[in-house]
Order: sequence, then structure tokens, then C-alpha cells
Amino acid sequence: MIPIGWFLILSAILFAIGVCGVLTRKNGITIFMSIELMINAVNLTFLAYAKQFGQMHGQIFVFFIMAIAAAEAAVGLAIFISLYHHRETIDVDEANLMHW
Amino acid sequence: MLEYAVFFFFATIAVVFALVVILHRNPVVGALSLVASLFSLAVMYVLLDAPFLAALQVIIYAGAIMVLFLFVIMLLNLQHAPEPTTRPIQQFLGYFTSAAFAAAMVYYLSKYALMTAMPESRFTSSARMIGERLFETYIFPFEMVSILLLAAIVGALLLSGRPVGHRARIGEEMK
Repeated sequence: MIPIGWFLILSAILFAIGVCGVLTRKNGITIFMSIELMINAVNLTFLAYAKQFGQMHGQIFVFFIMAIAAAEAAVGLAIFISLYHHRETIDVDEANLMHW
Repeated sequence: MLEYAVFFFFATIAVVFALVVILHRNPVVGALSLVASLFSLAVMYVLLDAPFLAALQVIIYAGAIMVLFLFVIMLLNLQHAPEPTTRPIQQFLGYFTSAAFAAAMVYYLSKYALMTAMPESRFTSSARMIGERLFETYIFPFEMVSILLLAAIVGALLLSGRPVGHRARIGEEMK
């Protein structure tokens, strides 16, 4: 069997790529896709440990994370559509309506 | 040995396409690369004895959520809009921080976790087992998620609809 460490390393690399996307990009949708990437890295960690400890709870958690990620994607994309209607762009620097 | 080959092949695919997601300027290419990356993660789930979640990953993530992303990108016609460049200091700090984070994680994981052998499969997780857990131990969170999804539907409809005044104006133009 493949040691759990390889899965954890893959998960860490994917998470770091997602962090990099969030920090360096300005396109709102790309930032959102980076967040999805991070969520999936965490899911992989959950499943790796679920197998390591022989427990089902990790898999149930991944199930819930998927459901919540779907809800989050729907609401987040609706917010970007609304932003686009108001500002004609989805550059996140332009979303400063609540700026102090 | 075959398992290692499959793992490293699909791990490479996942990482490369994830890099395309954050480096490519065109969001359509980014969304399609994310589909490929999520697909290879589904293969990882199969390797980890979770075939039901692998199926869910393909159906929900690579299917539904990414189609939603593509819909919004094409609805807003973003593939032609040029993205403004980020400040150099932000670029540098972003790349440097995440590279340092990845290096630190990989260093410590390879130091401590790489030698831990995965136990032989102690459970075969089927949709039936997950369903039983879901409706016995986790019934309350399950119901909460259903309410959350309902709230998300209502919120998405409310947010993405055009303002009332705008709709009235279009109606007058139509007349």
C-alpha cells in the first residue's frame, strides 16, 4: 500500500497552490477556483486519515464538505454576478463598496 | 507497484493542472484545468478505498460545480476582459509565502509521515455504509445541510437577479 505521507504531501502542495492563487490573482472567479482547490486538498487529507485509522467519519465529513462547497459556489458566483451588474468588472479591488 | 505508478501519474496531472488554474490568464482555460485536476483527485479517492466519494467528486465537483463556474464565466463574457496586473510586491509576497509554506509542509511530512505504512484495508466503504452513518449518527448535521442548501438557493436567486428598477425599465422599453 502507498504510505499515507504521499497523499499528505500531494494535499499540502495543492493547498499551497490554492493559497498562491488567492494571494496573487485579481480575477474574482480565479480566486474562487483557487478556494475550490484548497477545499479539495483538505478533502484528500480527510480521506487519507480515514483510511489510516480505518474510520468512516472522515468520509462522512468529506460528504458534508462537498455539499457545503456546492452551496458556497452558488452563493459566491451569485455575488460576482451582482458585482458585475454594478461595476462592470469582477476585479476584486473594485469591490470596495463597504470600504471605510 | 502498479498503485505507485497510478498515484504518481495522477498526482503529477493534479499538480500541473492546478498550476495552470492559477497561472493562466484566461478563466475558461482555468476552469477546464480545474476539472482535470479534480478528476485526478477522484482517482486518489479510489486509491483510498472511497469509491462512493470518488463518484460524488466526479458528479458534483467536476460535473455540477464546474459547469456553474463555466456558465458564469461565459455569461459575464470574461474570457476577453484583460485582467489588471497585480502589484509586484504582492506578486512576490504571494509566491514566496506559498512556496515557503509548501516547502515547510513537504519537509516535515517527508520527515515524519512518509515512513508510516498505510494499514491493509480494514473497511470497504460502500454507499450503504455511508448512508447508514449519515441517517443514524449524523442525522442532525444532514438536516442542517439540507436547510443550508435551501438558504443558498434562495440567496443565489436573490443576489443574481437584477434590481427591481432595472427590470421595470426593461419592461417599458419592451412596450
